[in-house]
Amino acid sequence: MFKEMSLKSVAAAALALLPVTAVAESPTVQQIKERGTLLCSGHNGSYFGFVEVNDKNEWKGLDIDLCRALTTAILGDPNANQIVPLSWAQRFPALQSGDVDLIIKATGWTMGRDTELGLQFSLPYFFGGTQFMAHGDLGITEAKDLDGGTICVEAGTTIERIAANYLSTLGVEHTMVSYESAAELRAAYVANRCDAFAGWGPNLAVLRATEIDNPDAHVILNDQLSSEPISAAMRQGDEEFVDVVNWMLAAMLIAEEEGVTMANVEDMAANPPNPKVARLLGSEPGMGERLGLRDTWAREMIAAVGNFGEVYDRNLGANSPYKLDRGLNNLWSHGGVLYAPILD
Amino acid sequence: MSKADELRQRAKRRKIAIQAGLIALSALVILGAFTTARTNLEAQGLTSGFGFLERSTGWDYSFSLVPKTIMDPYSQTLFVGFLNTLFVGFIAIFLTTLFGFIIGTARDASNIAIKTAATVYVQIFRNIPLILQLVFLYAVLINLPGPRQAMSMADTIFLSNRGLMLPGLSVTPGVAVALLLASIALGVVLISRKIPLIHGVLGWVGGSILMCIVAAIAMRPEGATLVTIPELKGLRFRGGITIPIELVGMIVAITLYGSAYIAEVVRGGLAQVPKGLTEAGQALGLSKGAIWSRIKMPMALRSIIPPLGNQWIFMMKATTIGVAIGFSDLFYIVSISITQSGQTLELIAILAGAFLLVNGGLAVFTNWLNARMKLKAH
Repeated sequence: MFKEMSLKSVAAAALALLPVTAVAESPTVQQIKERGTLLCSGHNGSYFGFVEVNDKNEWKGLDIDLCRALTTAILGDPNANQIVPLSWAQRFPALQSGDVDLIIKATGWTMGRDTELGLQFSLPYFFGGTQFMAHGDLGITEAKDLDGGTICVEAGTTIERIAANYLSTLGVEHTMVSYESAAELRAAYVANRCDAFAGWGPNLAVLRATEIDNPDAHVILNDQLSSEPISAAMRQGDEEFVDVVNWMLAAMLIAEEEGVTMANVEDMAANPPNPKVARLLGSEPGMGERLGLRDTWAREMIAAVGNFGEVYDRNLGANSPYKLDRGLNNLWSHGGVLYAPILD
Repeated sequence: MSKADELRQRAKRRKIAIQAGLIALSALVILGAFTTARTNLEAQGLTSGFGFLERSTGWDYSFSLVPKTIMDPYSQTLFVGFLNTLFVGFIAIFLTTLFGFIIGTARDASNIAIKTAATVYVQIFRNIPLILQLVFLYAVLINLPGPRQAMSMADTIFLSNRGLMLPGLSVTPGVAVALLLASIALGVVLISRKIPLIHGVLGWVGGSILMCIVAAIAMRPEGATLVTIPELKGLRFRGGITIPIELVGMIVAITLYGSAYIAEVVRGGLAQVPKGLTEAGQALGLSKGAIWSRIKMPMALRSIIPPLGNQWIFMMKATTIGVAIGFSDLFYIVSISITQSGQTLELIAILAGAFLLVNGGLAVFTNWLNARMKLKAH
């Protein structure tokens, strides 16, 4: 009896002296694993491009794909999630009360949310800003060509200020008509009351694709008037979960950088072209245990949803109805501002 | 002191006590509201006061009679909104009064067709809410052809979904406003001189046109033509006067609606003229026009003017619908200022104060007009 006890305590002491390799698992991740589902934020309806319901009553969009990616990373199955429909106002209370595990819903990273609301934000995965959309028959591509034109905008918004400021800096002579109602604003633009429409870039692309009869007859001008970082939001106090979400996003960006796609991920995993890809796809160990996940989580994730470029193109870009140019949302190496932390 | 006097004294004291009590109670309620508002604002960390009026706004709006930039302080922007409200309000008052008298007279006509047409008009436009009429009209107006396919009349007047382009005098906006005020002053002088109605109207129109011609010759900038004609250049028309489509919508909608009300007021006034007076005119062999302008209308005006003043005040308040179609009247400027600056109470107070000022002025004018028109013998 005594012997056994002492053997056990020796073993425990020896274990304690060993370097710590496995990180303490995040309580949120633990909860998700126990539950067997990840609870993601949806929308009360469709917020096109990001969170939308298709005609088969399935959720799709950039934010939904990121949720599916995270589900695969944690649980190994892209469909083991539940999308909880939430209004804009409900999203923060729902996160705090545990109705969702995180918010991935076109949510801007602001100081107030970061501090007063007790949230933690991931790496920004999208940059959206104020842009102009103009009638194509004007043959213009830049805001400075709007000289003498009429610009419509929603009254009382930050966009109204940003657009006025920008055009005044450019010295473009213009008339600004602002409407209190978004419906009145759209009607006025569609009826050609105004030459251009100032709004949030992704919303303009969606408006063009969904509410205008001839989408090709409208151009979104090159000028990027402002930029707002969009991040995933989590509850304060679970740093390990933030790590998981950050590295989920990072892995998707690294995959794009290295040319790993949904189609070639298995080949790449079998014959990794370089050590970084080998590490990323779990061909050699190290990727999983540091996050409390499986070594192959990134490989499974890319096989299920693709790399960041594929997800973007499918939901907002060239392969979507919205055809939103990648612009700032390209990799840093392609003129954008998206980058991943270093995978060592 | 007699019993009656004592009772009268007591009644007087009681009245004074009740009034003093009411005043004290009102003061208490107002004071209470102010302190509660102040405490709540402070609790929420909100700043109050009129300091924001000096800050530049940083946002733009559609229509202004004077040059504007986004660097203008809130005070200047609110003043522009006030001018716009006065501008639309006075145009609407003028047009509704004009059309109201015409349609009201038509309601009283003996010709069945004219009478029916006027009745149908009044019933349609009086019974549909103004905001609905405006939104409908605006939807029609913005679907007019664009500036490049604008409808034109003799290549001098153009109508597109951007607005109505008219030839204009080559004068600065300041001179234009001065002309407008001079024309109003002329009208007031003609009324106060008791010039007969037809002569007065002719004199007013002729005098206003003459003033415009003189101003255009004397005040035009060096080398400019007497009149500028709108011309399509790039994305819009240049030269002439552009009346933005929102302003066109406002004026047309308020005029259609208000004319129907004023027509009813006029009809009511005409109906009160004793039948005997009309018959006396007929017996004397006066023409229908003479009976209308020399007997019926002068008699009817006495009962028309007090309710007409009410309608004028209503027209002025009706300009607040501009917010529905993006026309920058005072209410629109105030409501955007509230969202952009957060100074709700102060801005609402400014809005209320401005309308009290204008409509108080209109009420005083109506009273003056009424006193002028009173039959002296009565």
